[in-house]
Amino acid sequence: MTSGNVAVRRLLGPDARGLLIGFTLLIALFAVASMLVEGFASANNIRSILLLAAFLGLASLGQTMVATVGGLDLSIPFVIGASNILLAYLFGTAIPPALAILIIAALGAVVGLINGILSYRIQGQALILTLGVGFALVGGAQIFTTIGSQYSGTVFSQVPAWFANISSISGKTFGLSFPPVVLIWALVAGLIILWTNRSVSGRALYAIGGNRVAAARLSISEFRVWVTTYTISGVTAAITGMLLLGFSGGGFVGVGDPYLFTTVAAVVVGGTSLLGGAGGYGATIIGVLVLQVLTSFLVGMGLNYAAQQTVFGLLILPMVALYARSPHIRYQI
Amino acid sequence: MVSKLLQRNAHLAVPATLVVVLALVAFIRAPGTFTYTGLAGAVLVAAPLILAAVAITPIAIAGRGGVDLSIGPLIGFVNVTIVVWLGALQISNPVLVFAFAIVVACLWQGLLAAMIIYVRISPIIVTLAGYLILQGVNLVILPRPGGFAPEWLADWGWGTELLGPVLYILIAACVIWFVFQRSPMFQHIRLMGADERTAYTSGVDIVKARFAAHLMAGVFAGLAALCLTGMIGSGDPTQGNTLTLQAITALVLGGTSLAGGKGGITGSILGAIAMYFVFVVLSSFNFGAISGFMTQLSYGLILVVSLMLSLLTLRPAPRPA
Repeated sequence: MTSGNVAVRRLLGPDARGLLIGFTLLIALFAVASMLVEGFASANNIRSILLLAAFLGLASLGQTMVATVGGLDLSIPFVIGASNILLAYLFGTAIPPALAILIIAALGAVVGLINGILSYRIQGQALILTLGVGFALVGGAQIFTTIGSQYSGTVFSQVPAWFANISSISGKTFGLSFPPVVLIWALVAGLIILWTNRSVSGRALYAIGGNRVAAARLSISEFRVWVTTYTISGVTAAITGMLLLGFSGGGFVGVGDPYLFTTVAAVVVGGTSLLGGAGGYGATIIGVLVLQVLTSFLVGMGLNYAAQQTVFGLLILPMVALYARSPHIRYQI
Repeated sequence: MVSKLLQRNAHLAVPATLVVVLALVAFIRAPGTFTYTGLAGAVLVAAPLILAAVAITPIAIAGRGGVDLSIGPLIGFVNVTIVVWLGALQISNPVLVFAFAIVVACLWQGLLAAMIIYVRISPIIVTLAGYLILQGVNLVILPRPGGFAPEWLADWGWGTELLGPVLYILIAACVIWFVFQRSPMFQHIRLMGADERTAYTSGVDIVKARFAAHLMAGVFAGLAALCLTGMIGSGDPTQGNTLTLQAITALVLGGTSLAGGKGGITGSILGAIAMYFVFVVLSSFNFGAISGFMTQLSYGLILVVSLMLSLLTLRPAPRPA
């Protein structure tokens, strides 16, 4: 078989088909939006779409990894909210900012680790478990930051200028006028795609997601892979929460709330099957861009947040119906 | 006989113990709960949660990891439509309002079931999308809390009489459930939840069974919405949403497995009562600014711990090849 043959087969395979559908949808949405909304294709608007996409993209990274092995992580918005206020709190203490960032990232990893270990034996209920962990975390974090302060839920402190620059809309990257967080997202995305496609440990995710028995025969530790994906999810959620602090300038626990279902939506719209074993971060990036362009379009059309949620919900169903239908019961026997 | 009964209800041990312990703590911390008016108020406040937990029970029993995330927004949807739509039409006849609430909730549940059965998407995605859709729709119908419930319904909210309509609804819900539990259809739902392939090959009509599970959920969700509307006496587009997580916690606490095939509403009711007592006990302490966070923290921890406890009673399942 020649390499050309393989390339053609890949192009016609289900993964490529998903990417193609997503990409077409993205282009179509963008074209329609630029025609209907004035200034949609302006540099300013594209910059803001990319900035918001970077946050959603980083938050969805972990969700993609977890979905690849057939799980779901609903603790992401709570980790984002908790790391957001905890970092704001730490910036207000004598701890050096760089160390504070490391502490929060480590905390995210620990939360992810706990999620992974606790949900391993009850994988079907991982979503409920992570929701519980998230709830406990966000309650705990708020108790911690509220004691000795009269503002409940909001934390005020000085965010270092270099940190705010990373993710503010007017941020500069090596003198160019786009915020560095977009570059960070692109680098992280490249690394993750390289890892999941080209390394043995990355492919193990697909092995576990595809068929656990077969993966076990290949001496792949299901436990290790499962816990690793949840740990990645915890870390990326914590990083997103910290970057959002730079974006908004003040700690607010509710900052993660919109990410509860949008991370799932981004994964699903991109084409990663929640059944596990298919899809990848490349697909999620397209999903993230589709959602962000759509949001910007809906805002431009004058729809409020509530109506946007409804449109998102209506969008998920046909997308899942395209990618992730389970076979009829008579073919499952 | 007795040992058989004990064995069959082993999954109720955790929630029943929890209810007794928490009731004792609540009795010490807040003795007012156990007076006549205290109990009347407790029934009123706990009823929406109890009925919401009951509503998602048949769906969880029906399997496929089916947990209805949309239950909270659905209850909110019925609440705001009673206030806004029926209010605009000036319909306040109790029979019509009851029928409206139950029919609307059943229609929604039927829609969910149809998506799960015919489009063959995993239930969690369907109910998740349903959560997003209804949450938005509720806010469109009624942007901020307001409006008035029909007078007879709003009168429930006084909560001074224990032997009132809310208690009767709870009793009626139990009666409906225990009649349903005796029917062959319930056995079909349970078999389907435990092992859908076996159920299908044994000739169970799995399409009918799944619809039946969702329609039962619709009936209870409608009743839950009526109790919620009676309690707050107006429309609130967001109050229902918080019920989703609490109802799921109550369900898990009550020993109903989200893997399907086992459980019942007795556990869910005990779970919901336990949640209510947690709330009572927590509010009896003076946490000041952090009291809301304490509730959040404890609900999260209780959910995690009860899931871990369910592991103890879990038999090792045969792995699918």
